[in-house]
Amino acid sequence: MTFYAPFTLPFIIGALAMFLILGIKWGIWTSRLTKPQKRLLLRNLPTRRFLAALWESVREALLHRRIWRVNPLLGYMHTSLAFGWFLLIAVGWIETLVVIGPRFVPLQGHVFFKYFATELPHDPFFEQTMDLLLLFVLSGVALAWMKRMRARMMGMRRTTRHVAGDRFALTALWCVFPLRLAAESLVCALHGGGGFLTGSLGRLLAAHLSPETLAPLNEAAWWCYSTALGVFFVALPFSRYMHIFTEIPLIFLRRCGIRSSEKKGFFDHFQIEACSRCGICIDPCQLQRTLGADDVQSVYFLRDRRYRTLRRRVTDHCLMCGRCAERCPVGIDLNTLRLNARTSLRNIPTDRRYDYLLGIDRSAGAGRVGYFAGCMTLQTPRTLRAMERIFRAAGEEVWWADRDGGVCCGRPLKLSGEVDAARKMMAYNTELFRRHGIATLVTSCPICLKVFREDYRLEGIEVLHHSEYLLRLLQAGRLALQRGERLFTYHDPCELGRGSGIYDEPRAVIEAIGTLTEPAETREEALCCGSSVADLEITDGEQLAIARDVAASLERTGAETIVTACPLCKKAIGRGTERPVADLAEVVAEALTQTA
Amino acid sequence: MKRVIIIGGGIAGMRSALRLAEAGLHPVLIERDAELGGKLRNWHALFPDFTQAAGVLDELRTAVARRGIEVHTGCTVRRFDARSAELADGSRLEGDAAILASGFTLFDARIKEEYGYGLYEQVCTSADIERMLNEGGLPAAPRRIAFLHCVGSRDEKVCQKHCSRVCCITGVKQAMELKKRYPEAEIFNFYMDIRMFGPGYEELYREAQLHSNIHFIRGRISEAAPTFDGRLQIKAEDTLTGRPLRMSVDLLVLLVGMRANADNAALAASAGLELAPSGFFAPRDPFLGNVRSAAEGIFLAGTATAPKTIGETLNEAIAAADAAAEYLKTR
Repeated sequence: MTFYAPFTLPFIIGALAMFLILGIKWGIWTSRLTKPQKRLLLRNLPTRRFLAALWESVREALLHRRIWRVNPLLGYMHTSLAFGWFLLIAVGWIETLVVIGPRFVPLQGHVFFKYFATELPHDPFFEQTMDLLLLFVLSGVALAWMKRMRARMMGMRRTTRHVAGDRFALTALWCVFPLRLAAESLVCALHGGGGFLTGSLGRLLAAHLSPETLAPLNEAAWWCYSTALGVFFVALPFSRYMHIFTEIPLIFLRRCGIRSSEKKGFFDHFQIEACSRCGICIDPCQLQRTLGADDVQSVYFLRDRRYRTLRRRVTDHCLMCGRCAERCPVGIDLNTLRLNARTSLRNIPTDRRYDYLLGIDRSAGAGRVGYFAGCMTLQTPRTLRAMERIFRAAGEEVWWADRDGGVCCGRPLKLSGEVDAARKMMAYNTELFRRHGIATLVTSCPICLKVFREDYRLEGIEVLHHSEYLLRLLQAGRLALQRGERLFTYHDPCELGRGSGIYDEPRAVIEAIGTLTEPAETREEALCCGSSVADLEITDGEQLAIARDVAASLERTGAETIVTACPLCKKAIGRGTERPVADLAEVVAEALTQTA
Repeated sequence: MKRVIIIGGGIAGMRSALRLAEAGLHPVLIERDAELGGKLRNWHALFPDFTQAAGVLDELRTAVARRGIEVHTGCTVRRFDARSAELADGSRLEGDAAILASGFTLFDARIKEEYGYGLYEQVCTSADIERMLNEGGLPAAPRRIAFLHCVGSRDEKVCQKHCSRVCCITGVKQAMELKKRYPEAEIFNFYMDIRMFGPGYEELYREAQLHSNIHFIRGRISEAAPTFDGRLQIKAEDTLTGRPLRMSVDLLVLLVGMRANADNAALAASAGLELAPSGFFAPRDPFLGNVRSAAEGIFLAGTATAPKTIGETLNEAIAAADAAAEYLKTR
């Protein structure tokens, strides 16, 4: 048996082209990883991380477990297409092996086995299994159709608007499986055999059509099937379907500890092209649901960046709240990619601009604990006064880093893309903290907290958000609080919750003072206040619209006081509600008993 | 006799009532507070010539009493239309037309937390200054005073896009009053624009600079914080020289703007009136229909429609009363 027929040519050419392009892409991206990234890869790949990555690939690239958590029907659709197709290939391979024994079979021999195997004995087990798998995949295709028409059915209010190239590839993909069904059924009609699906359809066709009609139809169907495959394969590396072959290397590289950084790098390509444009990131985006902005979401940002059509508005119009990243089934580091796109637009080397930083030190007091208010806390002095009272009540000796004015932590500048300028501020503050010999650094601003923890080199200094510090004081019995009947609700700041993983500490502190009630969307799902320093495009009116939205959801809890733990959130939400909005420190200071 | 319901017993309401009574109609004044007079009750002297507020107010209140005008004090209007007003206690007052003269709300300076109002005792508002002047002066003689213009005006961050108009001249007036009482004090006005639109205003502004030695710095204060010696440190930028500055002061006066009343939306919905984007009531048009509302038989007077001076408010009260009288003639 030669396993060759002219109709297999489109498939062979398509497959060869695809693997060639894939090889080139992977080759370039991998070879141009930075030296430390390559070292990480070589050091970590031959370890247990490899097995972990393998298991994650099965779970996410084939089974799509994370999508099941978004919506079971949506999860089933993705599983049936990915895992179903994988099984069709794998089981088909085994079938070939079982039927003709261990000998070399070219690629098209496996794919079009039914066409070539008409003379061979039928194995009913494999025929039934393969039909079952085909049905599995076809059910996914049917669901994909329905999703295009009625996304709501799968728990998605909106689905991605695709570019022409994607629609073309999508059409080819949707044709592949119905054409396979037709081709295999026609073979069965002519030669018998087949499982419950292809066999039954074959018998039905044979009963109604003569072999003279069936023969050319059969040839045509195999040509179409092969062409659909070939077209899809050629389109794959240029379309969203590149994610099929990119997610797996991404998982391995990520497991080796490789990450995108604040400046663009070649690892970014693995992340960008691993996006399947499923559109799950669209619904959580508040710019979409509150403001109706429908072209800036992560899916469009990654697409435009990949095709080099990125506009400034798309890069800059993002709250970087992380709600989309929380949902992303591929786990793409969306905020970092957005950030390093901004860096390439805006990072201008600045030599002289920050000379004034030299020699300034307006800090006051002395102590092992340092307190950094941050610019926004200086704009919301109730929080600062409350912290003063709390430190006094706890008998803490405090070094005040910036109570009389200081230098910004650098994160707002970093988020705008001016990372080199931000580094100058970071260097200044790091030196300041070191000079005053503190062991603990407390800040009441989550924006500062995040940059202290992630970008500063503060070995030997423990950085705490004031919510963590307050909880420690309570647990150590250093603060005596009066617990009352007040009903509070809590707003998770993005940089504190999703950004730094601090959810429980502020809640524990509130529960020491009164009763806590949660809004509908909370913790990892919490809404953004809308005034994020990360969005460089949003207007004041738009910020207000989001603030009102968030305030309304907090008001619906019936709580009398809205508590948050970020000066920016407090200011933002305060604009959207008549109810009191207080920082965690304020409610703690109010609840201090005199004896403490 | 035809009855005209007047909502609001401040200067606009009283002036309209007097005009209607002169025209032989029966005005019904409804005031939320325990006595007539509105915001002017708490004011000391008026720009641009330092007329005592009490004098203006007494004259109006005496005339209202002498005329025997029907007055309902301590009554809040829940809903109304041209023919009736429903009060908070559920009772109703009937009429044949209505004049809405419900005024404005002073901007709550605590919203601009960075200035520390309600937090530091060295910070007060322009309304507090008037009260203190009525009570005999400041608690202690200040060495240095800063006035900050546009607190709650022309500030998108607090949803107040409009200009409150009267604060510029109030800042000049109060600075001069304080300078007169405390000649040793240095006084600074921090502003973004100085808008001297009325008769005598520009002259007063000039006098403040030339003779009262009051300093004007173009730039807003960004934040205020107490110092260890009980003063207040303010941070600002002089935008004419482009330099940041810090200054210790004993008193920071926030010139608070005019905000639309919180119940404007509910009143507008009950009467079929329209609101401007600022939250104030919208007149039918800004020209020939400027005291008429979108609803037939309801007229608008004073700061219910926009920030205005006292003179403008009194003129508009007469115009609204005349329009109401004209309307009732045809019915």
